Amino acid sequence: MLLELRDIAVNYGQVSALRRLSMSVPDGAIVTIIGGNGAGKTTTLRAMSGLAKLAAGEILFEGERIDTLPADRIVARGIAHVPEGRRIFPDMTVEENLRTGAFLRRDKAGVESDLDKVYHRFPRLKERRTQRAQTMSGGEQQMLAIGRALMARPKLLLMDEPSMGLAPVIVEEIARIIEEINADGVPVVLVEQNAGLALDLASHAYVLETGNLALEGPAHELHDNEHVRAAYLGV
Amino acid sequence: MLEILAQTGFNALYAASYISLVAVGLVLIFGVMGVVNFAHGELFMAGAYAVVALYADLHMPFLVAVGIGLAFVGLLGLLMERALFRPLRDNPLGGLVASIGFLMILQSLAVMGFGVRMEHIPPVTQDVIAFSEKVRLPVARLYVIIAAVVLLSALWFFLKRTRFGWALRASAQDPEAAALQGISINQTARIAMFIGAGLAGVAGALTAPLVSVNPFMGHSVIITAFIVIIVGGVGSLEGAIIASVAYAFIHTVVTTFWDGVLADIVGLMLMLIVLIVRPTGLMGSADRA
Repeated sequence: MLLELRDIAVNYGQVSALRRLSMSVPDGAIVTIIGGNGAGKTTTLRAMSGLAKLAAGEILFEGERIDTLPADRIVARGIAHVPEGRRIFPDMTVEENLRTGAFLRRDKAGVESDLDKVYHRFPRLKERRTQRAQTMSGGEQQMLAIGRALMARPKLLLMDEPSMGLAPVIVEEIARIIEEINADGVPVVLVEQNAGLALDLASHAYVLETGNLALEGPAHELHDNEHVRAAYLGV
Repeated sequence: MLEILAQTGFNALYAASYISLVAVGLVLIFGVMGVVNFAHGELFMAGAYAVVALYADLHMPFLVAVGIGLAFVGLLGLLMERALFRPLRDNPLGGLVASIGFLMILQSLAVMGFGVRMEHIPPVTQDVIAFSEKVRLPVARLYVIIAAVVLLSALWFFLKRTRFGWALRASAQDPEAAALQGISINQTARIAMFIGAGLAGVAGALTAPLVSVNPFMGHSVIITAFIVIIVGGVGSLEGAIIASVAYAFIHTVVTTFWDGVLADIVGLMLMLIVLIVRPTGLMGSADRA
């Protein structure tokens, strides 16, 4: 297993956000976490990337514990996180944002070639490379956030609600990009409220409800599950 | 009239030079760490006393004394980061209160070490560049202007062109997103504190022979501090630099033509106007205000 969560719990003050969750991400896969508002999806990703500290349990990446490390050390291990709400650096240019994603890398040639790849994947970012990031549209900002994460050349990509607030045509483009990134060999953990999209992309899915694991299984099975269909797919 | 304007221009340039050094350091600390450093005026004072001790008392060359002053006050900044601001990181009010305590410690140390008297520091140079009978620029002041321009340009280059400069800007705009790029918050906090404190120290050291050095000289910095932080806004370090230089210049022009009290009033009025028109500050972004 590339990433393993063992019985993790996260509290925010007195409030328990996540209770005894176990999950695993095999190398190469797209795994999705779906669920309603406040189910604990974002908290799970934040625990993986070190932004949320565990109250119990442990997280293993490539067989080593990472839950005791600060967020910046976890990036160094190879986990990149595209946070909820994109969180690009608004006053930096597009290219500065992208290069900041490669902050820890020392292989200059590799960084330049990855920058070319990102520009090739997102031609609109190249057009706007000297523009301040906050002047871009939501879809472009999402692409920038994804590109910035790719600049770390991650072994695992965490994505939190990449479709949020975007027009359907842009959502389709983001979905295609996620598939491409995965096809290039980067495993992805995808958190989505758009369960239909997430279950189409993923091979395995976890369903969270109010901080507890409600269901898990192959994505196509959950797609046909009556509870999932009624609660998340609206059919 | 033209001569008065020219002379005021020189005076304003001189005062704006050292005030911007102080203010820029303050906004750098506020931007990266989110704490208002109330002891910043006392870091300025500590830089001035470094020159009293090393240049006036021990007769070291002035520039050596200034250099040591910069490093010494920068180290004081590192000490503050480690001992005060890091343990209180999740508590911005705590950092502010701790910095008020540190202010009192520094003042008391200065009183214990040097007494409350005004220090007399021999002038570095008596030379004056006389453009005309009424337009005169003392060379000692010119040095301060040159030093400020060089240091602020160096800071600008650092923020815009270097890896750690980008890390500082990213941390100021969104600390959590910066951590997700592998940027260590402890490291950017250390860099911001060393540079911010060092700039205050070098401003105090450079102006020591030109002002009255005493343990309470840092007081006047606090109001400036607040105005510049609010006007400059949160998030953009470059914006904060521009705002602090502009504020320092306006304040000095008003002081020269009228007086210092009116200049404070004008400064506060400007702050109110900015708050009404742009509540996030001139360059601030809404999501962090």
